[in-house]
This record gives sequence, C-alpha cells and structure tokens, in this order.
Amino acid sequence: MQVKYTLPILAVTGFLFASYTVVSSNKPIPVAPAIAPPASAPFKSFIAGAGIVEPKGRNIAIGTPLSGIVKTVAVKVGDKVNAGMPLFYLDDRDTHAELTVKLADLAKAKASANEALASLKDTQSLSDLAEAVTDRRAISSEELLRRRNALLINAAKLDSAKALVQQAEAALANTQTTLARLIVQAPIDCEVLQVNIRPGEFAQAGALNTPLLVLGNMDQLHVRVDIDENDAWRFDKNSKAVAFLRGNQHFKTDLILAYVEPYVIPKKSLTGDSTEQVDTRVLQALYSFDRKQLPVYVGQQMDVFIEAKDYPGNNGSPL
Amino acid sequence: MNPSSLAVRCQNVVKIYATGDQKVTALNGVNLDIAMGELMMLVGPSGCGKTTLISVIAGILDQDSGCCEVFGEDLLNMSNQHKLKFRARNIGFVFQAFNLLPALSAAENVSVPLIINGMKRSDAERKAITVLDQVGLGERVSALPSELSGGQQQRVAIARALVHSPKLIVCDEPTSSLDHETGCNVMALLKEVALHKDRALVIVTHDARIFDFADRIAEMDDGHIVEVKDKMTQLLKNIEHG
Amino acid sequence: MNHIALKMLMGDRGKYLGIVMGLTFASLIMTQQPAIFLGLMSRSYSFISDVGLPDIWVMDAKVQFVDDIKPLQDTELYRVRGISGVDWAMPMYKGLLKARLVDGTFQTCNVVGLDDATLIGGPPVMMEGKLEDLRRSDGIIVDVDGARDKLGKPSPTPGGKRISLKVGDSVELNDHRAIVVGIAKVTRTFQSQSVVYTTYSRAKSYAPKERKLLSFVLVKAKPGQDLAELTRRIRATTGLAAYTRGEFISLTYEYFMHNTGIPINFGISVLLGFIVGAAIAGQTFYNCTLENLRQFGVLKAMGASNWVLLRMILLQAVLVGTIGYGLGVGLTALFGYSMRHSILAFKFPWQLLLFSGAGVSLICVFAALISILKVIRLEPAIVFKG
Repeated sequence: MQVKYTLPILAVTGFLFASYTVVSSNKPIPVAPAIAPPASAPFKSFIAGAGIVEPKGRNIAIGTPLSGIVKTVAVKVGDKVNAGMPLFYLDDRDTHAELTVKLADLAKAKASANEALASLKDTQSLSDLAEAVTDRRAISSEELLRRRNALLINAAKLDSAKALVQQAEAALANTQTTLARLIVQAPIDCEVLQVNIRPGEFAQAGALNTPLLVLGNMDQLHVRVDIDENDAWRFDKNSKAVAFLRGNQHFKTDLILAYVEPYVIPKKSLTGDSTEQVDTRVLQALYSFDRKQLPVYVGQQMDVFIEAKDYPGNNGSPL
Repeated sequence: MNPSSLAVRCQNVVKIYATGDQKVTALNGVNLDIAMGELMMLVGPSGCGKTTLISVIAGILDQDSGCCEVFGEDLLNMSNQHKLKFRARNIGFVFQAFNLLPALSAAENVSVPLIINGMKRSDAERKAITVLDQVGLGERVSALPSELSGGQQQRVAIARALVHSPKLIVCDEPTSSLDHETGCNVMALLKEVALHKDRALVIVTHDARIFDFADRIAEMDDGHIVEVKDKMTQLLKNIEHG
Repeated sequence: MNHIALKMLMGDRGKYLGIVMGLTFASLIMTQQPAIFLGLMSRSYSFISDVGLPDIWVMDAKVQFVDDIKPLQDTELYRVRGISGVDWAMPMYKGLLKARLVDGTFQTCNVVGLDDATLIGGPPVMMEGKLEDLRRSDGIIVDVDGARDKLGKPSPTPGGKRISLKVGDSVELNDHRAIVVGIAKVTRTFQSQSVVYTTYSRAKSYAPKERKLLSFVLVKAKPGQDLAELTRRIRATTGLAAYTRGEFISLTYEYFMHNTGIPINFGISVLLGFIVGAAIAGQTFYNCTLENLRQFGVLKAMGASNWVLLRMILLQAVLVGTIGYGLGVGLTALFGYSMRHSILAFKFPWQLLLFSGAGVSLICVFAALISILKVIRLEPAIVFKG
C-alpha cells in the first residue's frame, strides 16, 4: 500500500512547489527609481518649456576689426573686465615701423615748413627794405616788383609746407589709430565667458562661426524659454513662472519676465543635436531671476513652467 | 401455516423480459411460500426462472404482475428508497461467484453491509471479526480475497450475508464453484450458523449433492413451480430410487 | 463507504496508476503549454512592464504595439508636459541600432534612450555599476543576456563560449564609440535582442539622422489624478495616443494575439493535451468502473443507494483528479524551475493553476459522469448471473 500514500504526498508536494513557483516567479518587477526626482509644475495648468541660461543682453561674440596674428591675450576665462580694458593684442610690428616712417615724414615736413618760413622772413625783410625807400628813384620799379613777388611766393610756399605738415600729421594719426585697433578692448563691463584664441593664432576679421571671445554680463542672467507655437496663445505676460535646475529639482527659482521677443522663430533645438531640424516655430520669452538662488551656469538648461489658462474643454479640437 | 411465521409469500408472480421484439417469460405465475426458520432450495434446469424468482424475492427485480410479500410487506408497492433500506436491513446475499470486493480484506468485506446500514467503520469491523470467528476464519481477518481459497472466500461471503442479522438470506448456487467436500462444508456451516427460527434461507442450486441440507425443495421449470417436496418426501424418493 | 471507494480505486494498482498518469499528463500539458505561451506573450510587453515609474505612455496615434516606433517631434514632450494633471513627462528613445563588435560582426540591438537628467525608465535591476554611471561620457548599460551572448567577445577557442562583455569594454554603435558602464538584468523581450540603455541625447546622436526621434513620452500623473481622464485629455489636446501602462500592455498583447500564429499553436497544444488527457484518464477511469461494475452491483443489491454509489465514484474521481493535478502542476513548476536560466519563455501565474485545475476537473467530471450513468442504470440483478 505504498502507492496509497506516496502518490498523494507527491501530489501535495507538487502542488506546493507549483504554488511556491507561482508566488516566487510572479513577484513584481522592481521599479528603477528616477536618479534625480523630476521637476513638476507647481501650477494646476501651465505651459512647459525648456529654458537656456544666458547673460542679460545676450552673449557678446567679440570680433576683431583687423585680421592678424594674435600677439598676446590679456584676459582669461572668468575675468571681469571693465569697458575699455584690452582683451587681446594683434601683431603690430609693421604698424610700428610705419609709424616711425610717418614720424620721419612729419619731421621732414616740419623742417620744410621752417625753411619756407625762413625764406619768407628773408624775402619779407628785403621787401620791407625796398618798401621803406621813399624815393622811388633810388630803387628801380622792377627791383621793387621782384621783391614783392618773392614775398608772395615765399608766403605761398610756407602755406604749402604747412599743408604738408598737416598731411604728415594726419598720416601719423592714421597709423596710430591702426595701432590702437590692433588692441581689442572690452566694449562694456562684463565677464569673459569663452576664449577661443591663443597667441600666435590668426584672428580673422568679420563674423565667425566660433567667436574669438565671448563676453557677457553675468551680474544679471536671463532664461530664454522656448514656447511651442501651439501653446503661444496660452502665454500670458503677467503670469507666474518657475524654473527648475535640471538634475536637482530642489534648485528652483521664481522668474520675472524681462521681455518677449515678438518674432516667432524656427526652433533651434536647445536639447539635442544642433544639426537637427524641426519644423516647428517657437515664441521666445526672456525671464530674469536672482542669480544667488541657483548655482547656475550660463548655457545650462532649465525646466520652466509658466502658469497658463487650461486648454478649452476636453472636447476641444486638438488643433 | 401461521402468517406471522411466513417469510415470503409469492402469489401468481409473472416476470417477462422484453429484449427488442422478443419477449421471454421468465416467471409465469409462481406461487410459493417460505416459512421462517426454513431452508428452501430452488432447483430446476437452467433458464427455468430460479434466479429471476430469487431476484424478485430479494427485492432487486420488480415483477410485472402478481404479488410478492416479504415479511408481510409488498415489495412492488414500496418506494425505491424504502426498498433499499428494506434490503439493506433484512436480506443477506451469498453468490455463486462470491462477489467479494477484491481490494478489501476479509473483515472489511464482511463489514460492508453494516456500513451500508450506517454503522461506524470501526464498530462494523469489530463485529465483522466476531462473525468471521464464527465461520472459522478468525485467523484470516486481514487477508485479501485473492489470498483465500474458494471455500474460505465463500465463508467470508456467508459471514457477510450474516453479519447484519438479516431475516432472509438468498444464496445463488453457493457451492457450484466449489469441490464436493468444500461445498458440503460450506452448506453445513451455512445451515449451522445461519439457520435459526427467525430467519429463512433461500438457496438456488443445481447441486444435487447438497439437497440433503434442504428443509423443502421447490422444483421449477419454465417459469412454474412444478413441485414442492419436503424433506420427508425427498428421503422417501431417495429410498425408492436407491 | 468512502474508505471502500478508495480501496476499490487503489485495489488495482495498474489501473490506478494509469488514471493518475493520464491526469498528470493532461494537467502537465494544460499547465506547461499555457505557461510557455504566457511566457512568450509576456515577453511581447516585457519592455513596458519593466518601466515601472510612469503611469501613461504617449506616442503617435498610429502605433500598434511596443516595437512599432513612430517617432514624434521633440516639442511634443513640452506640449504633453503642459497638460494639467501631468506631474512630469519624460522623453524616451527606443530604436534598433547596429552594434559593431570587436571581432567586426554586427549585431542589432535595442537602444533605449532615457531622459538625461532623471534617467527615468531605466533597467529594473542593475547587476554591475549604477544607473547614474550613464552620465559618464559615452556610457551605455547593457543587459546581462546580451552581454553574455550576443554582444560578447568571440571565444579564443573556436566554437567555445563567448566571453562576456564587462564594464569598461567598448562597442561601436552606429559608428559611435560607446563604453559599457553597467550590466543590467531586464526581462527578455520577444525578439530577444540585447538591450542597450543610454541617455536620450546620446541615443539621438547614435541614431541615424532623422527629423523626429522621440519614441515615447513617459507621463506620471499628479497624485489623485484619474488616469483614464488624463489619457483622454492628452489625446484631446495633443492628438497623440496616450495609454496607461495596462492599456499599452494589452494593446501590444492584442497585436500579437491577432497578428501571429502563436495563440492558435498553443491553443491546439492545450486542446490536444486536454483531449489526450481526457481520453486516457477518462477511458481508464471508465474501464475501471466497468470492471468494478459487478462490485457496484453487489453494493447496490446489498442496499447501497445510487446517491452513495455516486458519492463513491465522485470521491474516486476527485482523488485521482487531485493527485494528477498536483503531480502535473508540480512537474510543470519543476520544468520551469530547471529552465529558469535558459532562453525558454515560462510564466506561471496563479490563474494558470486555476485554469489547469478547471481542465482536470472537467476531465474528472466527464469521466465520473459516464461512470455514474453506467452505475445508476445498473440493474442489481446482474449479481446473480455467473
């Protein structure tokens, strides 16, 4: 009668094992937690957008008026500079040489002018002598005429020599200006954000893809927020806005609207590959915020929520 | 005969088997009385209706007409439920093929009628063992039928027929599967243990060797009782023939 | 009588074992085949169920199932973010990219790009490294099966096992360098491609240049927000499709149900198991009853009512059914257990226990029923026939 008990015992064991398998194999899959808690809007109804931090007045991409080899770079990234402070120097050796030439030219012109002045004085005194003779017979009228003319000629020569001096001075001033232009200066009080030029490199004049230097006013930062054109009608200038720093939702700040760029532009992706083309247009709104509240860097992305009126009823058209 | 001492009273019992269009008349007006304390044998050629008659008497087959009263109760008018209970309580069976349940031990086999009557298993088995003792199998209570000889098996069957003290025991060819000696032993046992004044035994048999055990012998042929002989007549006949 | 019924059943050991084996077989087939089927089907949506955090998936309206990627514009993310009731919304890239292995072979893998800041939607279990390591440059996380097998380095001996990819190894993804910074355990997907996790922006640079690359927007609803209401709102305002996780799973599941032959194949297997099991077990049980018919006749003659006999047969059926069922599901569980590290799909939910239980019960009821009919119709008079 062994079968009598073995089979039921086996069956019970089998069932228990199956139940165990059921319980153990159907444990819920563990949920991977978010590494950083995602930011969520503090408003009931809102517009969400990606914002990028930029200095007030946007970034200044410094260019050079003249092309040339960079001699020295006077600033480094992070330097605070005042208006007029030199940023970098271009190679000025040929300009300096030219300056010497111009100075010599000036000296020569001045010497010529002095010579003309001396001649004028000489002819002046001869003329004065002749004019002082009251007896017209004592001096031939021819001599008198010759002396008068010589005076006039020398006067004209002096004018001409003076003009040459002026010309030489102007030429000198021109070279000095060129020299000054080889020193690129900060246009405003600001901070150096990027330096893309090093001594010895050739700085190309004109608009460049990579600016030589990027300056910006870091005292006051702005967040440039892209609002999808589909949501643009919901945007209200007076509504509240909050920005969260990506990666830590505890860093957040209230935003104050600075201005809205009235022209809706094609979206340049702020979030991904720059070559990406997206056929949507965005309204850009600029907000200012208190920089002390956030350890934020220029160019960093933020999640921005702007309070807005809700979409019309649920049966509203999606378009 | 005193009606109260009458175990079975058959009057004009008719049973017709219908198989398709054919009709076979198994019982054709049987009249038979069996008294308490009597051992009645039914004899006759095969197909004469002996088995049908005891089936009707035992209440496992309904006759088509006529009346069959067992202990004064008309089986035909009894509800099925009532008939089952009646059978369980009052009738014991002994079969030609023993019909023991092969998976059960001797004691368990014997206890089945008691269990059917609602007795608890442990009590039933205890009672079964005492009865097995009576039939001389006290040593083999836990043996399976397959481990017992034919005679022992029939003794177990007798014990099973007796265990619930029925008032009527119906035996169908109890000895035909056994050799002569064993058959006689079984019959002797049956008569000794089973028969007393409050019980009737009906035995269907072919076996002329055991006619001696009968109180009366009813001869059947073709659905009739041809003749009922009591023991004395039987003896006389035997002497005549002998 | 119960005791007698059991003794009668177990008396013939061969028959008893036959019935139990038939039922075991039926129960095994009816549990194991659906388990494999469910395992396969659950792989179709395992990617969705692995991403546990978001409540709602937003995608193109025409997406039919999880691997049917129809990318969106990046700006849709912000539109979804701007819908009230949305707690947060994160982008996710999912696409098939070719990885070039050190030995020069190519392997298609499933690249998943997670939101750069939060890394929401990452793999559920990290085996090596941390999810944060994705922030390292060129970092990717590879699933362990892919690392061991498909993305592994070739064996030094020909025909040997591939060398598993380790943290620090590099792969080339669509001509971009990628460094393994972690190994994750993910639920296998239907196509069994290896899964590579990286950040959203890096995934976009790996992916071939396309105008649209945003595969899904994962949305978490604000606490207390009704999800059905929110999905409806997202659909209405953006014109995109929004599904709760359950809905997206059933969408994927339905797609596989209606567009592949898997359900039919397994349905036939299960049916066959049922029929064969029913045939073997039912037949043997019926035979057993037929063989015991004389005994039932004896019991009936001795006054056992039909009800008692019915109970006896039912008890027998219940016993063999229970034993066969227990053995069958036990063997199935054993099968699943021994196959747990293999590629075989196997899923054993509690409903399956009920399903095979119901199947076995049906067989038993069927077997018992024909036996019971036989016994009830039985004329006890047969006991007198030699």
